[in-house]
Amino acid sequence: MVHRDLVSKHAETIKSILNLTWREAHMFDAHAVTIGPHGMLLINAVMLGLIGWALWKAERRLESGSDWILLLMLCAFAVSGRVLLDPIPNVQPVTIIVLLAGIHYGAPRAIALATAVTLCSNLILGHGLWSLYQAVGWSAVGVAGALLSSRLLVDGRLNIERLAMVAAASAFAFDWIVSISALHSMGSELLLPYMVAGLPFDLLHAAGNVAFVAWLANPLSEVMTKHLDTSSPMAVNDSVSSTL
Amino acid sequence: MSDIVALFALFVLITIAVGGAVGDENRLKSLSLAWVIFLLITFPTLSTEWARMTSELVDDEGDSHYGLPDIWEGKQVVCFHFPEQNAPDGYNGARYHIDSDGTQFMSDSDWNHTGACIGGFSDFENGLALMDEAVLTSGGDFAYNSTQYTFGLQINSIADIDPCDVSECSDTSGAYWLLSHNGQMAMVGITDLALESDSVITWSIETW
Repeated sequence: MVHRDLVSKHAETIKSILNLTWREAHMFDAHAVTIGPHGMLLINAVMLGLIGWALWKAERRLESGSDWILLLMLCAFAVSGRVLLDPIPNVQPVTIIVLLAGIHYGAPRAIALATAVTLCSNLILGHGLWSLYQAVGWSAVGVAGALLSSRLLVDGRLNIERLAMVAAASAFAFDWIVSISALHSMGSELLLPYMVAGLPFDLLHAAGNVAFVAWLANPLSEVMTKHLDTSSPMAVNDSVSSTL
Repeated sequence: MSDIVALFALFVLITIAVGGAVGDENRLKSLSLAWVIFLLITFPTLSTEWARMTSELVDDEGDSHYGLPDIWEGKQVVCFHFPEQNAPDGYNGARYHIDSDGTQFMSDSDWNHTGACIGGFSDFENGLALMDEAVLTSGGDFAYNSTQYTFGLQINSIADIDPCDVSECSDTSGAYWLLSHNGQMAMVGITDLALESDSVITWSIETW
């Protein structure tokens, strides 16, 4: 309904500008512009950049210790990133964001973030049985981040090389966990061939994760560290057992 | 397989070139970007070649596609089976598999026939049209000799293999090219054979 109103309004504008009849103006459908897949990807990349820039600006106005608000902002960025980068197979920022959340905020918050991102993005991309496996997969990545936090975050600084290796391994782990969902529709003897057949997609996921680590891990880590609630038992240097 | 090796070699070269050209500080950024771009550009080739390589992992006994690469599942296939001693040059010792673009990508030495299957076709409705396309795809390796009768086309030889060269033909015995459709002897000739979307037609030498 809203869309029809917009189109009518649009047609009215065109009608007045071009001095067309109402029928001619409706035939001039500005919404019918054909954009190829590369054009759409460019639009999506610009939108993601805009969202990232706006969130970064908004974060600077946040008070230190606003960890839950920051988690919400990370959730928004992860959902946007996953949806907007959907045309590129298996390249998205969710795995890295969840991994970093696990490192900085501990397992429970990483699991909450992973599940929320999965649900919100799948409401757009498609929600079903696979959502549960994706949520479990990304939660596992977050838990791995929490477990390895003392080795990945040394003296308050990320060890980028180690993080890149963990990020690449997380891609395979996540994809294989999600692959288990195929057992609902095929026999267990086909699971291994199914996973082997998906290796090119796993590779792309791993390469994407390493790129996100290289380009985004340090700025994201700075922001996350800034908003650590040090009064919380979830602080970075707390033992993992306290976070689980 | 050779495409995968070439892609891997190119990947290593790009890694060395980019890694060597950039300083330590930005090496991971440049390398990771190069890797993602390389994988995205080569992804169609990589995934197709990988699917061809891994297609042997799945066996599905009981259907007409059993033993065939699983990337041909739901597609049309033509197989030419020869007695082991009489297979054409280049097609002995195994059953070879040629994709619809002419790429030979897999051989099965454990299969109980020698020869080749040419598959990955779709939308053919007539047996002869599919067979002609398969022959073209093989580069003419399975060109056939035929005689047109009023009741249809009789295949005399395929790849220059005449059944009577394989088995003795006399007044009381003979040999011929048998046409099977989805594992069963075809009830009509190749010119009248109506295909399904995933038909497998097979030519093999039968004696009487």
